[in-house]
Amino acid sequence: MMEAVEGLVRILEREDVEWEVFYQFGRSGSFKIERETLERSQRKFYSGIGLRVGLKGRLGFSYITGLHPSEEELEKLVERAVKLAKISEVPFRGFPAHENVKRVPGIYDREIDEIPFEEAQGLALEYAELMRGKKAGETISGSISLAVGTNGVVNSNGVELEESSTYMGVSAYAVLSDPPGTGSYSQNFTSLQPFEVLENAVEKAVEEARLSARAEKLEPYSGELVLEPTALESVIGVFLSNLYGDEVYHGRSRFSKPGEEVGSFTLVDDSTIPELPGSYSFDGEGTPGQKTTLVGDGVVRNFLLDHTYASFLGMESTGNALRTFRSTPHIGPSNIVLEPGEESLEDYEGVIVRKVFGEHTANPVSGDFSLTVELGYVVENGELKPFKDNMLVGNVFELLRTLRPGKEPERVQSFISPRVLVGGRLV
Amino acid sequence: MEWLMKRAEELARKHGVDYYEIRLIKVTSRRLAMSNGQLRELSSNSELGVGARAFNGAWGFSSANDRERFEKAIETAMKIAKLSRGDARIYLGDPVRDEVELRVKKPFTAVDIEEALSLVKEIDGMLKGEKIVNRNVSYGDSVVETLYFNSLGSEIRTVVPRIRLGFSVTARENGSMQDFWKSFGGTVGWELIEGIDIDYWTSHVKEKVFELLRASSPPSGEMDVIADPELTGVFIHEALGHAVEADSVKNGDSILAGKLGEKIAVEGLNVVDDPTLPGKFGSYPYDDEGIRAKRVEIIRDGVLVNYLNDRETAEYFGLEPNGHARAESYAYQPLVRMSNTYVEPGDWSFEEMLEEVRNGLYMLGDKGGEVDTANGTFTFGAKLGYIVENGELKEPVRDVALSGKILDVLKNIRAIGNDTRVEFPGYCGKGQWVPVDDGGPHILTRALVGGLR
Repeated sequence: MMEAVEGLVRILEREDVEWEVFYQFGRSGSFKIERETLERSQRKFYSGIGLRVGLKGRLGFSYITGLHPSEEELEKLVERAVKLAKISEVPFRGFPAHENVKRVPGIYDREIDEIPFEEAQGLALEYAELMRGKKAGETISGSISLAVGTNGVVNSNGVELEESSTYMGVSAYAVLSDPPGTGSYSQNFTSLQPFEVLENAVEKAVEEARLSARAEKLEPYSGELVLEPTALESVIGVFLSNLYGDEVYHGRSRFSKPGEEVGSFTLVDDSTIPELPGSYSFDGEGTPGQKTTLVGDGVVRNFLLDHTYASFLGMESTGNALRTFRSTPHIGPSNIVLEPGEESLEDYEGVIVRKVFGEHTANPVSGDFSLTVELGYVVENGELKPFKDNMLVGNVFELLRTLRPGKEPERVQSFISPRVLVGGRLV
Repeated sequence: MEWLMKRAEELARKHGVDYYEIRLIKVTSRRLAMSNGQLRELSSNSELGVGARAFNGAWGFSSANDRERFEKAIETAMKIAKLSRGDARIYLGDPVRDEVELRVKKPFTAVDIEEALSLVKEIDGMLKGEKIVNRNVSYGDSVVETLYFNSLGSEIRTVVPRIRLGFSVTARENGSMQDFWKSFGGTVGWELIEGIDIDYWTSHVKEKVFELLRASSPPSGEMDVIADPELTGVFIHEALGHAVEADSVKNGDSILAGKLGEKIAVEGLNVVDDPTLPGKFGSYPYDDEGIRAKRVEIIRDGVLVNYLNDRETAEYFGLEPNGHARAESYAYQPLVRMSNTYVEPGDWSFEEMLEEVRNGLYMLGDKGGEVDTANGTFTFGAKLGYIVENGELKEPVRDVALSGKILDVLKNIRAIGNDTRVEFPGYCGKGQWVPVDDGGPHILTRALVGGLR
């Protein structure tokens, strides 16, 4: 345990309260390339300590930044959190007890942790050069980010955990101006990637921009269509907030308990998948990460839960308390996986939607959505005709009832899914 | 902090950096959130951090929030700038020395957190009702104190207070669910809260949510749409504002590149972005590059007359700097952003506008939006609407998103109302979040409506 946390624990042990200390420290380097030129490089440092105090069924929270506080600052932090617990009325349902935590492999890469900044910036300069080499009429932009961070939780129930993880993010963005077309690609990793990953990013963005520039608006269409994982992620996002335990408890979800039928697919949240940036061995309260079936064979089986809302709902925490040192835990997904099914959709002929945007304008409680199609295409006799600017409209609960997953899963950041077949409508 | 300024100067000399700027920011904030009468959050915190940028043909940036790393962050930014091999140029201009505190009538810092808690409880109680399955109330305030200094000798101290109150209800009937909400905010004090007719607004959100429960989904397809002042705000923010942020233009990412001086909208359309409007949520006295905030006319009588810019894009386009570089916090680099964006009033009354519509929709409220500035397509969401038939308002329709092409819809505006309001606070995301306000009068245009009918 680091010195500041040890000092804090010593003070807390004198008080007649339950407590939890969550600390973080880390650094990141990121590089932004605009029109094939490295324009902005940055290196950030962050650290801080968040303290939750439970007193007579009430919760107080406060935080400080930095990891070198004086004894006086630590005393004040405790004093503030205790004072807030006295007036707060935020219900306190205890902190998780110590459990054995199984470490998720592959989420820390020493190479990223130890890469000299100059070398990382060199990689970004090479990436810019690659863009210059690949361009033909497009302008190409993009970014590389590298980060390392450590999270730790210590509480009065004997939890004492610390974990470091690393991150590499890659993005590319291509624009054609006349006629206008855009293409983008982004992916994230837990380890330093070979140069081919950068080449692939640029190629995918350029290919998509060329498709987009050829795309025209499609005549209104209603019927069977395929959603690629990126478009499906937007639609699933509208549905997912109905599975957050706090939304369920506070009546802002379609569901009040597990058991309702929603279709014939399986959707899981899994923070234990090796080598994924959404993975962790324990959540922001020290609950071990786990695989949770949210929808199993079409039936709602569980919700995303932290310790507090699990307790309110008479359930068990699913280890989905996400947080920073600045905040108390909030419920959120880790990696969301839609399990593959039986449909062969790789050579599907018909209407395919690749990307949509505007999902935050959708209404998660009614389920209605109308999303702008950024890119789609119709495949006929092996020939591909791109389209854009239509709206994909529908109701998420109705759409999911028609969903039939394909066979080949693909990863888009922390969402893993095959292409899926749905009944949908384009206007 | 004199030692930090002195040290920055020494480090710049050591690393041969031409230009640097440092923001030392202290934020004091409080937040309360309540759901269904249960308090979910009550916090009161403050933090201090530093963000340092150095320029050497390209930008180097570093930030830290541990005091022991402040100096290192400054040196890191300089080292990075030195390593970068860019050939960009930036606007330098004269040094500025100033101290500005946005004055309020009744500082919220003098109001105990207990009083804010009773306000939240009172509103929660007023939102109760049959069929209401969820009530949410949130209150937040913050004071941001910034010391900005740069290598030109600028030294600017600003204090910006900001307050926000929002509440929502969700209603359920026969398995159907809907929600409705209202928020208030500004760079003002507790007088904002005292000026709100809580009785009226809590009844209003309940009334509207019940109307939504009865509403059907609107028809789909391209049609005439009257937007209310709140929806006009998000429309102009998405349909125009993002595409005139000069970093997008410079990066080849805007459909409005090369269109300065061109007529891109109907005659009579005037659009302004003004961070100097007193008390608005998106207001500020200086931007995060130490440039004085300035009212900018974006469209004058249908002609695109200006971009919003920062030090780099002002120099690149040979424009006068207009103070639109904003950062979410010390830990972020400034980007070109909007502040309070609005459409100036025209001369149509709402009734006259309504009479113009044979078949269309009257859509109200802002559910946010998104834009693809390079393709020129945008989406924006409305909370509620009404069918319009032969100039008359008919049955209500549910919240829905609309979409359009920037270059088409600005030319499709058929009527501009005389009732401009700029009082719809929100946050705008562009990789980082900043507070903004927007608005305008009622306007009549055409858009693609994504209804389910």
